[in-house]
Parts: sequence; C-alpha cells; structure tokens
Amino acid sequence: MQYGAGANDSVPVADPLLSDVSLVTAARGGDMRAFERLYRTHSGKVMGLCLRMTRRRDVAEDCVQQTFIRAWRSLQAFEGRSAFGTWLHRIAVNEVLSHGRNHGTRSESNEDAIEDAIASPGDSDKEHDAGEVMDLERALRTLPEGARHVVVLQAVYGYSHEECADMLGIAVGTCKAQLHRGRKLLRERMGLAAEADDE
Amino acid sequence: MSNQDNDPLSQMLASLPKDVQPERDLWQGIQAEIGKTPVVTDTAPVVHFSSTRWFQIAAGVLLVLATSFTTFVITRNSVEKDAAVQIARAQQQAPVPTATAPLNAMPASFGTEALGADYLKARSELDQRFAERMKTLPPSTRAKLERNLADLRHAANEISATLAENPSDPLLQDLLMSTYQRELQLLADVSEMPASHPVRTDL
Repeated sequence: MQYGAGANDSVPVADPLLSDVSLVTAARGGDMRAFERLYRTHSGKVMGLCLRMTRRRDVAEDCVQQTFIRAWRSLQAFEGRSAFGTWLHRIAVNEVLSHGRNHGTRSESNEDAIEDAIASPGDSDKEHDAGEVMDLERALRTLPEGARHVVVLQAVYGYSHEECADMLGIAVGTCKAQLHRGRKLLRERMGLAAEADDE
Repeated sequence: MSNQDNDPLSQMLASLPKDVQPERDLWQGIQAEIGKTPVVTDTAPVVHFSSTRWFQIAAGVLLVLATSFTTFVITRNSVEKDAAVQIARAQQQAPVPTATAPLNAMPASFGTEALGADYLKARSELDQRFAERMKTLPPSTRAKLERNLADLRHAANEISATLAENPSDPLLQDLLMSTYQRELQLLADVSEMPASHPVRTDL
C-alpha cells in the first residue's frame, strides 16, 4: 500500500512502502510518526464516510479528528481480526452516531461540502460522468438519516448487512429494510426505473 | 452475483469517490491531543530486570544491534553514493557500460544475517530461555505473547526489507531499531519473569 498520498501532505509522496500491520506495530510502541503515516493513508476514506453520514464538513472533520485520537488510545485493543481501515471506520461511525446523540442530527446539510469534494479528482469510476455523480450525491444527501447511513456504509463503502448492522447498532433486518427504502428513494429522486428488488 | 451487482444504481453508488480530503490539516490537532496521552498499555506490571543476567544479555545484543545497524547504514549509503558517481562518470566519459560498485555485495536487508555471529548467539540464548519460560505460562498469556512477538518480527522483517531499498530513510532506521529493541525487551521480560509474576504483553 502506498502511503503518504493523502491531503495535507507534510510527508513526501514518494514514501517507501510499509503495510498497515507494521505501522500499527510501530505505533503501538508509541511511535507517533508511524501513526501519522496511518493517518495520511486512511484519513481521506474516513473523511468521506463521515462527510456522507453527517452531511457537514465541519462536523465530519471533528469526527475524523476524534476517530484518530480514539484509535491512538485504543491501539492495544486492535487485534488485527479486521483490516485497520475497517477498524477505523467502526470508530468513525461511533463518533458520528455519538455526535448525533449529543448535538442532534437535524443540522443543516453543508450543501457545497460533498460537491466540492467530488469536484476534485477521486477514485470515481470514469463510466459515470460528473453530472451523474453530483446528482447522486445530492439525492443521497436528501435521504432520511437511517437510510442514508445504511446506503453509505453498504452501497458506497461495501460493508455487508452484518457489518453494517454491527457498526450502527441495529438489527440486520432493520439494515436490510433501510437499504431497500434508501435505494427506492434514490431511484425516485433520480428518476430511475424501479428494479425488481426495490418493489 | 446478486441482481444489485448489475444494477446501474448500485454501480453508481459503488463508484462514488471514497476519499474526501479534509480542508484543514487535522493532524496538528490530533498530534497535540495524542501527545498528551501516552499509549495505553496493559495494566500488568513490567518486570524489572535491569540488574539481571537476561537484561545484560539483552543490553549486549542491543549494543551489537546498534553498532551493526550504524555500520550497515553508513556503508550502504557510501556504496550507493560511489555507485552513483561511477555511473555518472561512465555516462559522461564513455558509451561503454562499466561495472559499478556491487550493491548486491551488501546484505539485501538489515535482517539478522547482517548482524553477525555474536548477535545471533546472544539472541538464540534469549530465544531459548523465552521458549522454556513460555511453556510454564497460562495458554491465554502465551497466545498473547506469541501474537505480539509475531507482530514485532513481521514488522521487523518488513521494515528491514523496505530499508534495504531506502537505506537513508530516517524513519525506517528508527522504526527498525525500536522494533528490534521491543522484541528483545519482550524476550528478556518473559525470560526473567518469576513463575507467578504477570508480564507485560503489550511491548
């Protein structure tokens, strides 16, 4: 894995390759530079997840910051059963949910945040043009919170029903129902034909 | 393959950019916060072995390690520099390719093979003692220690191989030394542990 490719790079882009496992081992010994490498590698994805879940850049950035602080404090608890990135995402989802509980979740969407982010080159599939991507992001933002969280985790970030339910602290059945609802609403709002699965 | 795999909506959702970069440098705030927090370790007390035989062996091994490592880095840098100069000269003076200093004469990585017989002997002694002591520990402690040791050795091997390709990277140099150091400390801690004494497993 190439690290050092994130934003805010004070680390040179041409850094040598080291796996997350080795960097985590070093960070567990207290090496903050190794942890910074992990931050540079993973912060973009954690930010993407938090931004789509919270819809606000400032809140998402706070959640990202808290995620990495919490991860540092819990490094000894990371047993490597899942990938380090997955473990971080679990912490991030907790941060988002906890922020929602403490501050309410009815905060206004930061309309430009996601669109600005998408305007910069990302790993978006070239099959879909920027307009379509923008429409989809807009539609995603309008989903009710429960459905949005599930759609983001499952359909965008590729987590299974079980992982998603576990992260969100809901039943698998609820998760499936929210995904179904979210996909149906997305189709309606984007003017797409209904699929058999959505009926 | 589920129906959703072929569904355009699913494909569009899956192809949305995953990475979104924060606008401000969050690392500064994270660093400031975690700087106040020492790495949380297990609560089991550290075995104080500073005056014991196993500590002396570990300290001796570390000394050999540090010396060999410094020699490795300096020699490797100098060989690479010589090679670069020779290549530059050859390119300037003659179109015929000339032999350069043999980079492959150096060890491919800073692994145990680069450390010499003294290191290997001392480490093997520690290893042996560690293995004997491990047999007397409860399975859960043993499993944790074995996992931690395996993590440290995996990291050391990987850092060592990466360092061989980037010998002047100061972070890799530090990481390798500290990883070897933690491995030795773990071996020495367990070796010296009294039969009923808990041991740190987080090193």
